[in-house]
Amino acid sequence: MVVSRRDVLLGSTAALGAASFSFPAPAIAQSETIKIGCLAAMTGPSSAPTIGFNRGVNFAVEAINAAGGVKGRKLEIIMRDTQGDPTKAVNATQELISQLKVHGIWGPLNSGEALATTPIMARAKVPNIHPCVVETLIDVTKYPNAFRMAPSNSQWDDAVRNYCLNILKVKKVAVMGDTTGYGVTAVGASVAAFKKDGAEVVYQANIDSTQPDMTPDMLRARNAGTEAIVVWSVSTGMEGRMFNTRATMNWDVPFVGHPSMSSGEIAGLVEKPENWKKVYAIGYKSCSYDASGKLPAKSEDLVARLDKANIALNDTLLWWVAGGIDAIELFAKAVETSGSTDGPGIIAYLNSLSTYPGYFGNYSWSPTQHNGYLTSEVVMSEASTAKNGTFALAPGYT
Amino acid sequence: MLGSIIAAGLASGAVYALVGVTYNTMFSTSRVMSFTAGQLAMLGGVFGSMFTLKLGLPLIAGFLLTLVLCAIIGIITEFIAVRPVLKSLDQHLYVLSTLAVALMIQQVAAIKWGTEPQPFPRLLGLGSGVWDEKFWLPVLACAITIAALEYLYRRTLVGRAFLAIAEDNFAARALGLPERNLRIASYALAGIIGGVAGYSSGELLLAFFANGALLNFYGFVPVALGGLGNNRGSIVGGLALGLFQQAANFLVGGIFSSVAVFALFIVVLLAAPQGVFGGGTVRRV
Repeated sequence: MVVSRRDVLLGSTAALGAASFSFPAPAIAQSETIKIGCLAAMTGPSSAPTIGFNRGVNFAVEAINAAGGVKGRKLEIIMRDTQGDPTKAVNATQELISQLKVHGIWGPLNSGEALATTPIMARAKVPNIHPCVVETLIDVTKYPNAFRMAPSNSQWDDAVRNYCLNILKVKKVAVMGDTTGYGVTAVGASVAAFKKDGAEVVYQANIDSTQPDMTPDMLRARNAGTEAIVVWSVSTGMEGRMFNTRATMNWDVPFVGHPSMSSGEIAGLVEKPENWKKVYAIGYKSCSYDASGKLPAKSEDLVARLDKANIALNDTLLWWVAGGIDAIELFAKAVETSGSTDGPGIIAYLNSLSTYPGYFGNYSWSPTQHNGYLTSEVVMSEASTAKNGTFALAPGYT
Repeated sequence: MLGSIIAAGLASGAVYALVGVTYNTMFSTSRVMSFTAGQLAMLGGVFGSMFTLKLGLPLIAGFLLTLVLCAIIGIITEFIAVRPVLKSLDQHLYVLSTLAVALMIQQVAAIKWGTEPQPFPRLLGLGSGVWDEKFWLPVLACAITIAALEYLYRRTLVGRAFLAIAEDNFAARALGLPERNLRIASYALAGIIGGVAGYSSGELLLAFFANGALLNFYGFVPVALGGLGNNRGSIVGGLALGLFQQAANFLVGGIFSSVAVFALFIVVLLAAPQGVFGGGTVRRV
């Protein structure tokens, strides 16, 4: 048999081609990191939640990678600072999807940015988990890739209404908010829901948050026979003034509503610490301690682990940290169960979850429902009782 | 209710009046409406809180340092936003330059100080209810400022030089008055008046970066109502605005009170375009 140079050349080319196309490919897939993009306002005025969420994200990534990763593959977090700016969030999203080819995205962490980025992620079919509250961010038809792992606005509203009507057992409420778009929308929705449930909304107002004296609205609310004041605002200045005015009026009406009423900044804005009592802000079962000062067992365990890892909780909220851990663990479980980093596999796994036990809460998603947090886990907290990012459960819960 | 309207109305009105006087002080020597007036008042609250609450300085030291810094900001405004556009006043470039400086002040305050309202220390610890010091301190500060300005303008050589510049810039320069130095001094004085407004109302308005835009707006109303450059008109206009605004808060609610205030403002200006206390400029020939 005569072997020509042409035969050698052809044979070598075929061997090289076979070598490069067949065997090494699985080896690359097995060693490739699982890339999770994070969109977070790490700097700027909206950065407080990010600090907490990031502690959870980093904690979860380190724990999973230290245990060998997901089927041998390490998690890689690719963080982008959006500075709270939707334009920057859009640019970062495009970079994460087109250039960095991430397998899933956690965030953005505020609704303003998410409104801009969610359609982009949907077009690219990238699995997305976020904690933003605006209702329209979840739409299984338009955004089948987007999953909410925190309550929506209407779930907050349901929890507040439930506390007022079924636990405080009041029938006459005043609903107040600020004059921002959020305040006006939230007050309108809250008033409609209270009326639908048979309660009497005796006073309704949107107040300029810079108004120095809250007496006019508080007086009108009292004269109308208000038994509880529901507050929808993120303005701690306005809330602090309302609490001080209530004290000046010698009125003991309870305030119920937005989580910002439990912000640490209010401590400096109230004239006396007791002015901040009887204020019940939205909180979560997993992050609320009972009369004996104990968190639920799973949360106690988490706090102990975080403490061991030297992760501070005294300047943030436990739910932010726990939410960050849950988001990363959900991506890891999705890759592990589906056996790949393909978007459809991750989305199918998330769609199959029913009361998945996270640290922040139990999540349930299906192909027709992407609001994963259970309303029953949203509770009221005593606003002035912050302790290591957790709050005392408001009175009336068993 | 009446007590609350009067107390809160006079307090807010006194702050608006002082911001109006700040506008007038800068206008008198430069013929420029500097839209940094409200920001100077905002800084009065922010610096006051920073020095006395965060840094723990004694009240007097904190107050004086606040005034010094506000005066410096006033002087910087004159250098970077007013002086370059004085030669083309008729083009109204000062609107752009002073608004730009105002926005810069606001953004820097937001970044460095924070976007949430911060507490302001209780200054004297006197009074409660409608007699609380947070209501009467701005009124007292307004009264003292007006008395001091009257003394300055009527009884001192520097004050008379200010009036001369305000009355006729060219004639004053021809007489040898140092117009540029007097203009710098008037911007420093405006900074001090703005600082007094912010410091005295800190307990009421808190130390909040967004107060600047609010005071710019509401402080301009008494200037327009009282007549440009007319301090007495600004005082009356400011106090009337505060009382009317607080009464509207009670009668029609917070969200509509701004509408009521500006409806009245437009009606007054339609009836008296020079302002209620303003008159046509008379020039001897």
